[in-house]
Amino acid sequence: MSFDIFICGVGGQGLVLLTNALGRACLKSGLKAITGEMYGLSQRSGTVSVHMRIGEDAHSPLIPIGGADVLVALEAIEALRYIEYLKKGGLVLMNSRIMHPPVETAGLVKDRSRKYFTLEEAVSRVKRWTSMVAVIDALAAAKEGGNPNAENTVFLGCLSALRGLPLDPAKVKEAISEVVPRGTVEQNLKAFEIGMRRASEALCGYGVCRDLK
Amino acid sequence: MVLKDVVSPNKGKAFMLCNEAIARGAIEADVKVVAFYPGAPTSEILDTFSEALGSFDYQMQIATNEKVALEICAGASFAGLRSLTAMKSVGMNVASDTLFVLGYTGARGGMVVVMADDPHAHSSQSEQDGRFFAPNSYIPMLEPSTAQEAKDMIKEAFSISERHRVPVIVRTVTRVNHQSGVVELEEIRRSGFSRVRWRDLKEEYLTLGEVARRKKLRMIERRGSLEREFEESAFNYILGGDAEVGTGIVTASTAYLHVLEALKVLGISGKVPVLKLGTTYPVPRRLVAGFLKGLRGVVVVEELSPYLETEVTMIAKDENPGLRIFGKRSGHFSEAWELNPDLVAKGLASALAIPYEDKSGIIEEAKALKEGMPERYPTFCPGCPHRGTFAALSQALRALSASGKGYYFANDIGCYSMWVFPPFSKADSSLCMGASVGIANGLSNVIEERVVAVVGDSTFYHAALPAILNAIHNRNKFTLLVLDNSVTAMTGQQPNLSTEFTAGWREGKRIPIEDVCRAAGAEFVEVIDAYQVKENVPVIRRALEHDGLAIVVSRRECALYGDRRKRKRGERITPYYVDKSVCRKPYACIRDVHCPAHEIDGDGQPRISPELCDGCSVCSRMCAFGSIRRSGTEGERR
Ligand SMILES: Cc1ncc(C[n+]2csc(CCOP(=O)(O)OP(=O)(O)O)c2C)c(N)n1
Repeated sequence: MSFDIFICGVGGQGLVLLTNALGRACLKSGLKAITGEMYGLSQRSGTVSVHMRIGEDAHSPLIPIGGADVLVALEAIEALRYIEYLKKGGLVLMNSRIMHPPVETAGLVKDRSRKYFTLEEAVSRVKRWTSMVAVIDALAAAKEGGNPNAENTVFLGCLSALRGLPLDPAKVKEAISEVVPRGTVEQNLKAFEIGMRRASEALCGYGVCRDLK
Repeated sequence: MVLKDVVSPNKGKAFMLCNEAIARGAIEADVKVVAFYPGAPTSEILDTFSEALGSFDYQMQIATNEKVALEICAGASFAGLRSLTAMKSVGMNVASDTLFVLGYTGARGGMVVVMADDPHAHSSQSEQDGRFFAPNSYIPMLEPSTAQEAKDMIKEAFSISERHRVPVIVRTVTRVNHQSGVVELEEIRRSGFSRVRWRDLKEEYLTLGEVARRKKLRMIERRGSLEREFEESAFNYILGGDAEVGTGIVTASTAYLHVLEALKVLGISGKVPVLKLGTTYPVPRRLVAGFLKGLRGVVVVEELSPYLETEVTMIAKDENPGLRIFGKRSGHFSEAWELNPDLVAKGLASALAIPYEDKSGIIEEAKALKEGMPERYPTFCPGCPHRGTFAALSQALRALSASGKGYYFANDIGCYSMWVFPPFSKADSSLCMGASVGIANGLSNVIEERVVAVVGDSTFYHAALPAILNAIHNRNKFTLLVLDNSVTAMTGQQPNLSTEFTAGWREGKRIPIEDVCRAAGAEFVEVIDAYQVKENVPVIRRALEHDGLAIVVSRRECALYGDRRKRKRGERITPYYVDKSVCRKPYACIRDVHCPAHEIDGDGQPRISPELCDGCSVCSRMCAFGSIRRSGTEGERR
């Protein structure tokens, strides 16, 4: 069996670092890990995605359609964009943040009757795929931890709250300290703790979280 | 990238990107000279070597283009030193003139060429299948599936290269290059770098007439000895299976990983014999023949063209003429786009006649949920200087619209390609690096419209320069915008000839584009600052009206590169904000700028996200009411 996480977001949100921290934590735990990473081109603001697969029999760098145990979306609309990768009834950890693509904003100016695609709309559609959805205000959590750039580590915290993740949260924290820029370790670890708490609260009714002391 | 894993001298394990593992493998193999021109999905190999340059004594050059990079490595190899280059396979089109001759001359020091294909054209202008370079040039080729195997193959490729005195291609695909995994590190033991004496080594590296004809025979012989060696290579192996099944699988590269996954999904792991090929040129025919013997059918699983399928078909003709072959020609797999576990499961199930419910139902269901969801096209980053240049160009075109003159827009390959997207939406053509100027040379003499061509700084040196010189010499008349953002931005902001740095942040001599153009005799050459939108409009307008070749160099460093430099210097980015008491909502900032940092607030007024704004000022220059201002407060971003 493999534990498959589909991670997506918008270019510039730090998916590379998030992936690397998870992979290092796997290595520390003696687990096999393989990824398929798609960062588009180098520009910011495009859609980005990573297939992260943990376990001995995860062979392909790509998760089969409908195969991911968890979908992590660092931006709300992106959760919907890749929803087909999630198992029916799988778990979604999604940011409440929406970054409106410039074409969408320009469309609103052109046609004043148009409205933005909303978070509520994104969440309600995701919920038609699965009921287990945690909506996390990761930017607020990152700021609370002292660094608005740490949305990615907030989600590492969220993931670590899950009992299904075959990694000891302590190992994930160790990995974070090794990969984040020097001088930001403390802020990132704080963001991690906040993320872990937020996910536990959001998912407490489902019995999928570890006991937090 | 985590540099300490790549440079760690010790044995151990690390979780790394395949491209980093490739660099690590070459460093373990004591590579002495590396040279690159960047291109996805190989660019991180260049980046890794550049970062690690402080830790080792290999020589590194970031070259003008792939051909020069390949020749730098050939030079080192002729002198007996180990060398490595990496390029995307369209880069090999540029370098292949040299590659073909290297097939004849051979190599001396181990010479490895990493060549990456991009099935699905994720970040390329075509889905070209680079494997055919190998048989065409008689140069051996290895194909890894994983990061670990890529590292192992790189090391072995150096040995093969030295044993057979020929460069070796290590061919990857995007899903291999951009795959991370756990990789075994071996101890790094490097010998120091020292110059060698050419006169002690001298060999015959030329190929004219009679010499070329003689060497051709040697190439054919060499192919034979490589094939014999590959029959025993550990990179080719058979995963057992049930002989009863009667059908086997031949596969390589990332397709092999999808096969393993698909067999698992179909519940038949270990039941079907699989021949995994790692040496795909020359194909070890005896090994394949042995595998095919006794089978009733074989499924060939590979991406893009039926390259292996053709080999298998030819071998089967002699060894097992009744064999049923399932692959591209039978319609079980497509030659278009990349494979994935689902497509492979579907093809295998059909070939093996076992039940499989494909994923089209799930995909349809997901599609319904996505109805009306906004697309997220690639776009200029906040702060991108190209946005300012194109805004000024659009205004200049608008000013000239009354003249009734028409235009042809020749787009090219780089971040500025996104000129094709709103709000600019300009591109009558976009082919490959530098082609915009070549096309302009042709079109400007045969159409009534004025041709406007664009190139970036990296593209200017890489392939556009011959076409520009052609235009000057032949007095061709068109407008050329050179968007000089100091780096090769699209592939990750690597330094190029327009940068004062080179590999490892070492000093490099910057070659100003305007100096090159003027020295060559161009008469209209203007340099503008991309952010000064208003001031640039009349300059561009003149360039559009000039009766001759008009070159405008629009300069301003790439925002991502600039941000990195600012961070290094400890400077902060100060975002802009909309002063809502002044804003009268003409929305020019949104309509004509399309910056990801802009959105419409609940009250219908524009808002600039302080987390995303790069402080470039372009939108503030587009606002007629002066309502966009620089924040007085410190920015929230590092
Ligand atoms: C032959 C070839 N080599 C490499 C690439 C990869 N590539 C895509 S765009 C580009 C150059 C971009 O640099 P520049 O022209 O300076 O434009 P910028 O992205 O900086 O705007 C490169 C190297 C390619 N497409 N074709």
